[in-house]
Amino acid sequence: MKFAKLILKNVLRNKRRTLLTLSSLIVSLFLIISLATILTEFERGSQESNPSRLMSRHSVSLAFVLPIADLQRIQTVKGVKAVMPFTWFGGIYKDERNFFANFAVDAAKMKEIYPELKMSDAEWQAFAADRQGAIVGKKLQILYGFTPGQRITLKSPIYNADVEFIIRGICTGGDEKTLFFHHEYLDELVKAAGAEWATDKAGLFAMLADKPEDVPRIGQEIDAMFANTDAPTKTESEREFAASFEAMTGGVKQFLYAIMAAITFSLLLVMGNTMAMTVRERTKEVGTLKAIGFQRHTIAGLFLGESILLAIVGGAIGIGGAVLLYRSFDMSLYIPNLVSFIPQTETLIGAFVLSILVGVVSVVYSTYRVTGLTIAEALRSTE
Amino acid sequence: MALPIKYNLRNLVVRKGSTLATAFTIGLTVAVFLMVMALARGIDMTLSSSGEPLNVIVVREGSTAELNSSVSREQFNDLKYLDGVVREGDEPLATGELITLIYKPRKGMSQGSNVQVRGVGPMSFKLHSGFQVVSGKRFQPGLMEAVVSKRIGERFQGLDVGDKFRIQTTEFTVVGIFESGGKAFESEIWVDVNALAAATKRGDSFSSAVLRVSDANALAAVTKRITDDPKLHLKALSERKFYEDQQGIASGLLKGLAWFIFFIMAVGAGFAGMNTMYAAVARRTKEIGTLRVLGFGRISILLAFLLESVAVALVGAALGILLALPLNFVSTGTSNWATFSEIAFNFRLTPDLMGWALAFGAIIGIVGSLLPSIRASRFRIVDALRA
Repeated sequence: MKFAKLILKNVLRNKRRTLLTLSSLIVSLFLIISLATILTEFERGSQESNPSRLMSRHSVSLAFVLPIADLQRIQTVKGVKAVMPFTWFGGIYKDERNFFANFAVDAAKMKEIYPELKMSDAEWQAFAADRQGAIVGKKLQILYGFTPGQRITLKSPIYNADVEFIIRGICTGGDEKTLFFHHEYLDELVKAAGAEWATDKAGLFAMLADKPEDVPRIGQEIDAMFANTDAPTKTESEREFAASFEAMTGGVKQFLYAIMAAITFSLLLVMGNTMAMTVRERTKEVGTLKAIGFQRHTIAGLFLGESILLAIVGGAIGIGGAVLLYRSFDMSLYIPNLVSFIPQTETLIGAFVLSILVGVVSVVYSTYRVTGLTIAEALRSTE
Repeated sequence: MALPIKYNLRNLVVRKGSTLATAFTIGLTVAVFLMVMALARGIDMTLSSSGEPLNVIVVREGSTAELNSSVSREQFNDLKYLDGVVREGDEPLATGELITLIYKPRKGMSQGSNVQVRGVGPMSFKLHSGFQVVSGKRFQPGLMEAVVSKRIGERFQGLDVGDKFRIQTTEFTVVGIFESGGKAFESEIWVDVNALAAATKRGDSFSSAVLRVSDANALAAVTKRITDDPKLHLKALSERKFYEDQQGIASGLLKGLAWFIFFIMAVGAGFAGMNTMYAAVARRTKEIGTLRVLGFGRISILLAFLLESVAVALVGAALGILLALPLNFVSTGTSNWATFSEIAFNFRLTPDLMGWALAFGAIIGIVGSLLPSIRASRFRIVDALRA
């Protein structure tokens, strides 16, 4: 520690260089955290799934629907606490760019199956009491200014209809960019639109098991029950169901990893180059230090300490900046398909470790070269 | 009087370590930008090449994709005899097609994605040019047989020749593998439209209709005629526009990401370049003084340093292009959110993207070296020589 002051002096010797190097570090770490957060947010659905919840869909794909009558049979499976239809509506609010998910559900079962959705009792009652009622997530309120009592129209490309809803509540928790409304209301408009294929049908069934251990058995029993019908089902835990959506993004994940690797490599080059300049410029000094009796490893320690100090400061500012920015400004409002945009603790720790590693690696070679010179060689240096 | 270019190039060689490091930093920045842009460009080009200029696609009013559209067989029979639709002998060059999705796991994974299945008629092969069976054979009309696009067969499990898959309760057998000139159809499975109608119990309607019209005037007339008919409740548009409209979300997000990453990396690379240039200027202070004594003006000094830095940046950008170039041979896939299914495509590193990469590289070089170069040009001769 007695060298701490010397290291600090060295860091501050060329203030402009230190500042530029720090800035490079800061923006690179900010970028790495941003990209890593996109990756973790892609997987949030499966990571934070409710272990007792299951989803049932048509075994061929989501393009096929299930008879709503299946619900009664699912209800009889032992261990199923509650089940409701969960149907993608695909309504568009004013313009296609305002994309948000909207589902028809059973208002009475919603609260039980999705306990993470928080809303006042008065709002739950108002929703249940209004056939045309809908509830929206907090983020939709922020984005579009929805208020309870407001009438909104969603244009449905699937049923070719303009459908009016009355907002009855603003909920928090879960995906706050979603609108839920009554399945009975959907059934009515499907009949009015003459869409035979969708009459008395549900896109999915969402259900809650008594306990998580029952989930695999319930899935198997339901699928066996409908295996030989016109609409065979595929029932999965919510985690698997979410993972199947996450898998749809395909190669994007590896792609983001490749980009993060490129950024790290480029950061190594930047730091390595700066530290090489710094170390080489001090070759003569190394000779002097050696001449007055400093050991090679002590001198190397000074350089290493300087580089790590830079890395720690730059890393801390970049990471702190990313956290502050993403805490105060919710990016998920503007990125479709992302529920939230919060850097995870693991990401932050990883980024910090990475910056220290960059600090160490970038100084090793030049330090090895310069501190290995004899006193005479070092003092004769023209750098 | 300008300094000879040789002076700059020699200087770059003298400090080759930091020249290379700076060039590589800029190179990586450019390479990452190109990677993401080439991905977005791949999606765009796949979709924009899919529509033929004289094809009209008809979907239900309000539909955004074929999957949620429906055109009845009765309507189709009226559409194909409209004025302006080209005929082959007696038969109009028109087809009704049916779309559905099947969920398939990816190779080596338990999870996968939706793959679009297109039921096609005999005329479909003439309307969508470029279709070519590369192994196996074409399906026979009326049989439960399928041809799978090469890209989809390579990416998903159980879609090789001889494999079977289910649509509802009907089993289809894969009999061939096809390509279609890089179009979006290369993300599909094709089966006979009547077989698919039977399997999905949609005997009375198609998802969309495609008509070939004689020329651009006919295209305008036919689309207007269909869209404006209040009884039809259909929407007609040029096939090219229909596919281009699907570019939306996926490629837009990627382009946004490309700019975000590029901007931040460019700032980082600019700072790094500035560091190197400041060091170079400091080390060559005496030299600058000497040059000034010899009669080279401040502007010459400024330009010399700028030029040196731009040269490094251009070398870097060229390196970046070389790094990203192999991507042209890589194919990948992601979800096309407009159709809710997989779209498989190649990265496309086009010449215009490479041109932009060089330009951006040069800009990073100029911005990064401007301040150090100004500093160099401002030295007083006496001070510089005494340094």
